[in-house]
This record gives sequence, C-alpha cells and structure tokens, in this order.
Amino acid sequence: MFKTPRVITSTPNIAAQAAQPPARSQRIFWLVPAALLFVPLFANQYQQYVVNLILVYVPVAVGFNLVMGNLGQLAFSNLAFFSLGAYVSALLSLRYGIPWGVTVAAAGVASGLMGLLVGIAALRGLRAFYLAIVTLALGELMRWSYINIGEFTGGASGLALPAPSFFGWAMKTEATKFYVFLAIAVVVVVSTNRLLRSRIGRALVATRDNELAAAAMGIPTGLIFLITFAWSGFMVGVGGAGYAALIQYVSPEAFGLRELILQFAIVMVGGLGSLTGSVIGAVVVTALPEFLRSFPGFFELLLGTAIVLIILFLPKGLASLLQPKFPTLRYRYTGK
Amino acid sequence: MFEFLPQLLASGLSVGMLYALIGLALTLSYRATTVVNFGHGDVVMAGAFTIFLLYNAGLPISVAIPLGCAILFAFGVSVQMTLMRPIMDGPHLSVSMMALATGFVLRGIARLQSGAVPLQLPRPYPMASFDVFGVSITSDDLFVAGAVLVLLVGLTLLMRTKRVGKIIQAIFQTRRGAELVGINVPLVQGVLWGSASALAAASGALLGLTMLVTPDMGSWTLIRGFAAMAIGGFGSLGGAIVGGLLLGALEKLLGFYASSVFIEITAYVVTIVVLLIRPQGLFGKPPSQRV
Repeated sequence: MFKTPRVITSTPNIAAQAAQPPARSQRIFWLVPAALLFVPLFANQYQQYVVNLILVYVPVAVGFNLVMGNLGQLAFSNLAFFSLGAYVSALLSLRYGIPWGVTVAAAGVASGLMGLLVGIAALRGLRAFYLAIVTLALGELMRWSYINIGEFTGGASGLALPAPSFFGWAMKTEATKFYVFLAIAVVVVVSTNRLLRSRIGRALVATRDNELAAAAMGIPTGLIFLITFAWSGFMVGVGGAGYAALIQYVSPEAFGLRELILQFAIVMVGGLGSLTGSVIGAVVVTALPEFLRSFPGFFELLLGTAIVLIILFLPKGLASLLQPKFPTLRYRYTGK
Repeated sequence: MFEFLPQLLASGLSVGMLYALIGLALTLSYRATTVVNFGHGDVVMAGAFTIFLLYNAGLPISVAIPLGCAILFAFGVSVQMTLMRPIMDGPHLSVSMMALATGFVLRGIARLQSGAVPLQLPRPYPMASFDVFGVSITSDDLFVAGAVLVLLVGLTLLMRTKRVGKIIQAIFQTRRGAELVGINVPLVQGVLWGSASALAAASGALLGLTMLVTPDMGSWTLIRGFAAMAIGGFGSLGGAIVGGLLLGALEKLLGFYASSVFIEITAYVVTIVVLLIRPQGLFGKPPSQRV
C-alpha cells in the first residue's frame, strides 16, 4: 500500500523545517506526569519504591529503544552504559563527595562518551551480530573491571552509597526521590520525542531502513550513528545514576546478563522503535523482578517466554495495540 | 621462564578443544540459517543439565550423555521449526532475539530445577595423570581431546565426502537458489540446527565433566564460543576450531605471564580487538553489505 508522503510546498526556512513540534493532540500526554504528581499521597513506602524503579528505567528503556528500535542496530551496549553510569555516579559521590545531582550529569557524559566509542566501532563496519557480540563483550569487560580494579570500585561486593542529594535537597525518602526521578524521566521523554520528530529523527529511521540509500540521498549516516549512540549512552547513563541513587548500592552482580534480559524485555514488550513503547515497557516489565524475587528461575522463564510470544504474535510490542486507538502515538515513520 | 611453556600450551589446547567444539556448533547453526544463535550458551547448559538429570534418574553416565545429545537434537529441530521458521523471512534481528529468548527460558527452567547448587557430572573414566616429556596431562584432557577429535573427524567426513557439505554450502550462499534446485531447505535447516544443539549438549557434557554446571554458565560459554568464531572467522568451521584452540592457548599464556585475572577477560578482549581490527578473523570473509 502506497502511503502518500507529506509534500512541503514551501520551505522558506530550514530551521522551521528542522523540528516539527509535537502535534497539539500530544499535549494531552502532559496529563500523565501531572497525575503522577499526586502518587506520593497515596502510595506507601514500598509502592513508592516500585514506582521509582519504573521511573529510573524509563531513560534506560528510551536509550535502548533508540539504538535498537529507531536506529535498528542490534547493540547490547545498554548494559555497559547503564553500569558505567551507575558506577561513575557511585564513585564520584562516595569517593569524592560530589553531590549526586552533579554526578548525574557526569554519569551521562561518561556513558555518552562510551556511546560515541561504540558508534565509532559501528562505523568501522560492524553491523548486525558483529556489533551485538562486541557490545556484549564490552559489557562483560566493564563488569570484570568493576570487580578487579581493586578497592576503588569495591570489588565483587560492590559499594554502599549514602543518601543522594539533588542540589542541596536531600533525597532521603522514596517520595523525595520520586519527584527527582519523575522530572528526569519527563525531560528524557520530551527531549527524545523532539529528537525523533526532527530532521535527525527522520534521518535515523532512514538510516535504519536502508543505510546505503540514506547515504546516497545525502544523509550523514556516520554522524547519525554517532549522535544516536552518544545520546542513547547519555540517557542510559543518567538512568544508571538514578539506579545508584534509588538502590543506594552498586555491585557488579546487578549488571550482568540478567539485567540485559530485563532491559531487552522492556523494549520488546513495550514496542521496538516506539517512544511510547519504551514507557509502556518500563511500566509493565520493570516491576516484575520485584514480584518474582522469591521464585528463582521464574524471572528468566517469564521474560523469555514473553519475548518469544511477542516476537511471534505481537512484533511491534504493546504499543502497537494502543496505536490504532490513539493515532498520535503512532510514530509516523516507524517503517517496517 | 619458558620452561613452563609446553605445560601451558598443553593445558591451553585442552581447554581450547572445548572452546573449539562450542564455536563449531555455533558456526554450524550459523551456516545453516545465517542467524547467530545468541542462546547457544544456554543450550550447552541445558545439555549438561539434561544429562545430569538423566544420570540422576538412574541411567549410567555413558548412556546419559548420548541420550542427552539426542534429546537436545530433537529440541533443536523443534525450536527451529516452530519458533524460528515463521519469522525467518523477517529481519534477522528478530530471529537472533528469538534464539536469545529461548536461551533465557532454558536458563529459567534450569534454575527452577536446580536452584543455586552447582552440579558436576561423574567421569566415565578413571581420574589419572600422565607425564609426557615433562608435561602433565590428565585423563580429562585426553577424554576431551579424544571426544572432540572424534566429532571433528566425523563432521569433516560428513561434509567432505557426502553431498551434505555441498547442500549446506548451497543453503548458506543462496537460500532461494537452493530451494530452486530441489533442496528441502526447511528440513535441512531444522536438522542442522538440531545437530548444532546436539553438539552443544556434547560440549555441555564435556564441560560438566571437567567443570561445574550452573544455570548461569551459558554466558561464560557463549562469549568463548563467539571469541573462537571471531578469531577463526565467522562462518568457517575449520576456523572455529583453530580459533578455539588459539583462545585456549592465549588464555593460559596470558594467565601465567601477565596475571591470573586476565584469564577471564581474554575472551572479551580478543573478541573486541579481533572484530574491530579484522572482522573476518583468520579464515572468514570480510563482512559486506549487499545493495
């Protein structure tokens, strides 16, 4: 079925063409964070913790989905970004007394730089499973280094962290953490939405669908790769810092394949390539490990089965169930 | 300093044989379907667990091992036919993810069955140690080397002398072309995937004999299989073997001459370095994109 492309009849200004503001119908989504503001009034400590966990994973899911869904690269670099962000934040606040609010930025930048490196590796010609394998090895290498660098990184037992503070505001309770994490999640989602609806976002999808054709059309695919991986790294790094603040403990164990399974399931169940999907996936899947804590083995079983079923029967994830009902959710350029 | 070299090489080659077998099985499934099985490590683990369960149920170990391989063969064939065939025509990404997800499921089942207690398989041969020209070789080394050699020779004979090798090559190069000349591609792919799973079970058996079996050994196994494939070149069966042996030797050498902590990361570092600098490894083809 041929979809008529939108014809732009006049282009007086490249900048105006560059970023399409989200459609007016999208403004309704601001209701979600607005409603969430009242959650601490109703939730007890544990429920609040679960909500916080979901909010921490939103940037992580968005970052992963950006690389896997929108750019179409099978890259398991998320684990490396996540663990680096968590450890950078942890080490800076524990060893150097830097307030957590500042370490968030540092964690983001560090992971963003690592993202840049991964992007460069991808540009060297690594695609598909080559990239997946290299990024998997990278994640494991990072984990090994946390264990073996020595006392500085806490070794195999990890590091316990003091209560984080956000620019002078001590985050001692789950409720205070909630507002900070909510703010971060909103900023991440809004900015990524803007990115996806801009020229860069369109270039992203073009690169995913046919890299050579995109390059032939003049899209700087190399730059797109670098931007995407760096931005993904930044977001996931920020998520990692959030994770460190939430759990107040970082250990190498937490960043192994189990974590990758979780993040993978979040993105697949939510919807590959869909920003809404990342959020939905985070909401639906993140809390599962909490509920399955006392049943060893069910975690992998459930998540693995969920992914298998999703791939077979609902390849575009849960977001594809909502999109027919709410057309604004449909990311117009999701392509295949 | 160099007086330890023969010993290091010997033990390196011994563990390298294991890596070679893992890489070989991975390459086989890759050549059959052009899909890299990210769940292979977990299949190896599942093989080891199945054999353990069979042994626990009362079967002697020398029966449990072949039976376990047969069960995994059937498992591989059914996974390929039911789960992967419907999505084969879609993006390769999905098929790899499917393989990964089935690996997760296996891991979950294994953890449910065994909990956190590591298991070991009993040896069907006596524990012994021989001194050959100053190098100590254990019966473990001999058994592993012997088993892998037998499998290798069998596989090579199969590939070279019978039409099987040509059929596999045809499917790998052009699936449609193979179908057009009358090859039953789905059947062959299923059988090959099953054979790779059976080989994985064999690797699991060997690993279980010489090391401990845990539900999480899949990640360890997978990375080493990938490293072997990377060194040898993706898609090259002989390359996987050479890669595995080189990896084993490198691990032991680095572990001794540099530091023992490096044993663990040799596979990771080698994978990253080889894929960045020379993705085609020793015997593979440079990765290319078809326009």
